[in-house]
Amino acid sequence: MPIQFILNGRSVSIEADPAMPLLWVLRDILGLKATKYGCGRAQCGACSLHVDGQTQRSCSLPVQLVAGKNVVTLEGLCANRSQPHPVQQAWMEENVPQCGYCQPGFMMAAAAFLEQFPNPTDEDIQQHITNVCRCGTHPRILRAIKRAAALRKNV
Amino acid sequence: MASEKKIFSRRKFLIRGAIVLGGTVVGIYLGKRPIRRFLAQQIEGIEPPAMLSHFQPNFWFEIQPDNTILFKSPKIEMGQGIFTGFAMLAAEELEVSPEQIKVVHADTTSGPMDKVATGGSNSTPSMFVPIRQVAATMREMLCQAAAAQWGVPRSEVKAENGTLQAGARQATYAEIAAATQEWTIPKTPALKPVSEFKYVGKDFKRNDLEAKVFGDPIYGIDATMPGMLYACIIQSPFYRAPLKSAKTSEAASWPGVERIILEKDWIAVVAQTRYAAEAAMLMVEAEWDVGKKYEQEDLIRMVTVGQGKGVNVQEVGSPRRILQVPGGRIFRQEYRTPMAAHAQIEPNGTVAYVEKDKATIIMSTQSPGFVRAQLAASLGMKAKNINLIPAFPGGAFGRRMKTHNAVAAALVSRAMGKPIHAFYTREQEFMYSPCRPNTHHVLQAKIDDNGQIQALHYDLATPDMAIEDNVGSAGIFLAGADIISAGHGAPVIYNIPHKSTDVWHCPYPLDTGIWRSVGMFSNAFAVESFINELARETSQDPIALRIALLKSPEKLHQRYVAVLEKLREVSRWDMPAGEGIGRGVAFGDDRKSIAAAVVEVSLRSSRVKVNKVTMVLDPGLCINPEGIRQQAEGCIMMGISAALYEELKVKGGRIYNTSFQAYPMATLADVPEIEIVLLPGDEVPYGVGEPPLAPIAPAIASAVYDLTGKPQRSLPIRLA
Ligand code: FES
Ligand code: FES
Repeated sequence: MPIQFILNGRSVSIEADPAMPLLWVLRDILGLKATKYGCGRAQCGACSLHVDGQTQRSCSLPVQLVAGKNVVTLEGLCANRSQPHPVQQAWMEENVPQCGYCQPGFMMAAAAFLEQFPNPTDEDIQQHITNVCRCGTHPRILRAIKRAAALRKNV
Repeated sequence: MASEKKIFSRRKFLIRGAIVLGGTVVGIYLGKRPIRRFLAQQIEGIEPPAMLSHFQPNFWFEIQPDNTILFKSPKIEMGQGIFTGFAMLAAEELEVSPEQIKVVHADTTSGPMDKVATGGSNSTPSMFVPIRQVAATMREMLCQAAAAQWGVPRSEVKAENGTLQAGARQATYAEIAAATQEWTIPKTPALKPVSEFKYVGKDFKRNDLEAKVFGDPIYGIDATMPGMLYACIIQSPFYRAPLKSAKTSEAASWPGVERIILEKDWIAVVAQTRYAAEAAMLMVEAEWDVGKKYEQEDLIRMVTVGQGKGVNVQEVGSPRRILQVPGGRIFRQEYRTPMAAHAQIEPNGTVAYVEKDKATIIMSTQSPGFVRAQLAASLGMKAKNINLIPAFPGGAFGRRMKTHNAVAAALVSRAMGKPIHAFYTREQEFMYSPCRPNTHHVLQAKIDDNGQIQALHYDLATPDMAIEDNVGSAGIFLAGADIISAGHGAPVIYNIPHKSTDVWHCPYPLDTGIWRSVGMFSNAFAVESFINELARETSQDPIALRIALLKSPEKLHQRYVAVLEKLREVSRWDMPAGEGIGRGVAFGDDRKSIAAAVVEVSLRSSRVKVNKVTMVLDPGLCINPEGIRQQAEGCIMMGISAALYEELKVKGGRIYNTSFQAYPMATLADVPEIEIVLLPGDEVPYGVGEPPLAPIAPAIASAVYDLTGKPQRSLPIRLA
């Protein structure tokens, strides 16, 4: 039975083991590589994306659980590069990434977080965004999330 | 990426008349190409970086038809920001904006990269002069070509913003290049003095920023090849233990599995999807031929001063005698650092396609040349037939100096006749970790009756980190201990009349490797902690004591003192610390890049919280201050992480804390207030990827001591 869902605004239908994690469906079947593998155990957040607007760690999410749902990955966070999402805009203004590998997950987590916390404090961010970065971009991530919060209000 | 295709049409590109200009320290490969041979001679005189005598950088610029300039870098951009700095340096002499220069990784078909590795914070120092010389030569050639085409004297031609002008005439570099058949090679023009730099010294954002913010598939793990299969490679969780037996029937019948390959020391589960390969891998029951199964306590015992063999690396005056003779008092302390993992977020792996007489390898690596040599040996193929295409690594920190499963992936590809995508799982990343080994340090000082430090002797006990990779097993035999990597930072820089350092070579039953800042991390922890304790012991201010022990007319020492004095000022060291705040300081010189930090800590629900880090950093000339601050912040966070949380643990012969949960690291909740002051004290750049790490752990330890009254002599810091 094909599994159908909406991916970045388009309907997709795939043939796969229903237990296959969404991460591998995206990366290996659909060829979308922005969603990263870091641990496969829902511990690092590199694979974060949105399912019906909520952050989910796709490495531990069987694809069958997103049937009929709305999935957004970093590739679909903005319509095109000349109109970045406020989070991406803030990330560029703060020059956040180093190796950059953890950043898609952080940006996806931040984008969904800001829907719930439009005026976040450092403590809100620290409590709700628990992704892992090894390069030490944390100070800039904190700043970028607050900057994104400000940018959102001006949109 | 379009740029990668250009490599193969380079010859055509030359015929079309564009120019390709490069440089290399040793000009063997380029012998036939006059332009490059010329440059080889020109650059030959440049001193190779101290750490890597076999360094052979090869790099060049290509003017593209759209007037952008492609720069092929032999150095890997693994997050440290070098591509941005390289573009800025080249732009200075090419008279273009840094944005006009597109920096990409050179692959191994681009030239002799066999021994090039990226690490030791030496990319920028080693490329600082060659990049500018080649860029200046190229600009001069363009000017001369324009003068010839236009029939005007050279002196009338000016290069500016990627265009050439003479009176009313104007043409882009690309136009001139396309219309030029013959090139004259000039003497290397004089380089711009530092005072005339337009870009160097200004803040530039990373030139890979967009790719990283929009999620471009730039990492090794993102690579694909048509018809690719996926493999999971199982290695022994016990160091160097060969495979004894394996039950694979259940795994082999898992849907999607194509084949299971057993080798002497690895098993490959090959499947149509990564998901299937990983699921089937879990069903393989492997038995390994393990000798003794070591425990944590064994490793600590094995790495202890007095075990193994001591090699003297520093001897000034007669410290051993002074420490023996009566009079004054002896102050002695011991320190330990734990095993640690690199824990970069992109796991290691390889996309490999081995055909009959050639191979293509895409991977995130710090040492493409080394990997290629290993592959050539294992495949029985000439190195020149193996194209190793470096991807952007998702973090490295020393973890990507080794070949990892590149050889296995290549052999599997050959066996299957298809491209293979093979990456470690997170558990494997930890389990097979070439770890930063645990260390033991003993320091003794003789304090005379006036409280002066007369003599200091330092013993470092350490397993090898990477000396074998650098100088081979004969080298380690000659050196007697890993005085290069593990011993990095072991000689004491303080001007104590009598001082000596011995490095003890401790055999070790686990794989080890270089970890960000190499031996400096552990050595700075021990030596700087000891200096702080000596200051307490002799009732001196730790900054004043350091200044007293470093003052000298030598330029480097003047830079030391300037950094410490600046730190005293900006950290408000002379004001009392706030209520409930502990304060500590530490200092480091890592290959002439100088960093000192003051750290403030408090207790938050009986755990240490770093509230503030004030750092003064003198990395010599600051090419891109924004990039330097990024690196300093990264080092501060990694230092906090290593000081407070990180420790690999061994049980029954294997590393057993193999997840991010079991190996916690600093998170957003650990971010302190950070103040970084750059104090450029030289006209040449030194590295910044590692040096700012040195002072962090000892400053934290000292701050915790200050707060709690309990000395912190081993990492990670634990209060209970
Ligand atoms: S890969 Fe999903 S949380 Fe780490
Ligand atoms: S930027 Fe490298 S892991 Fe976060």
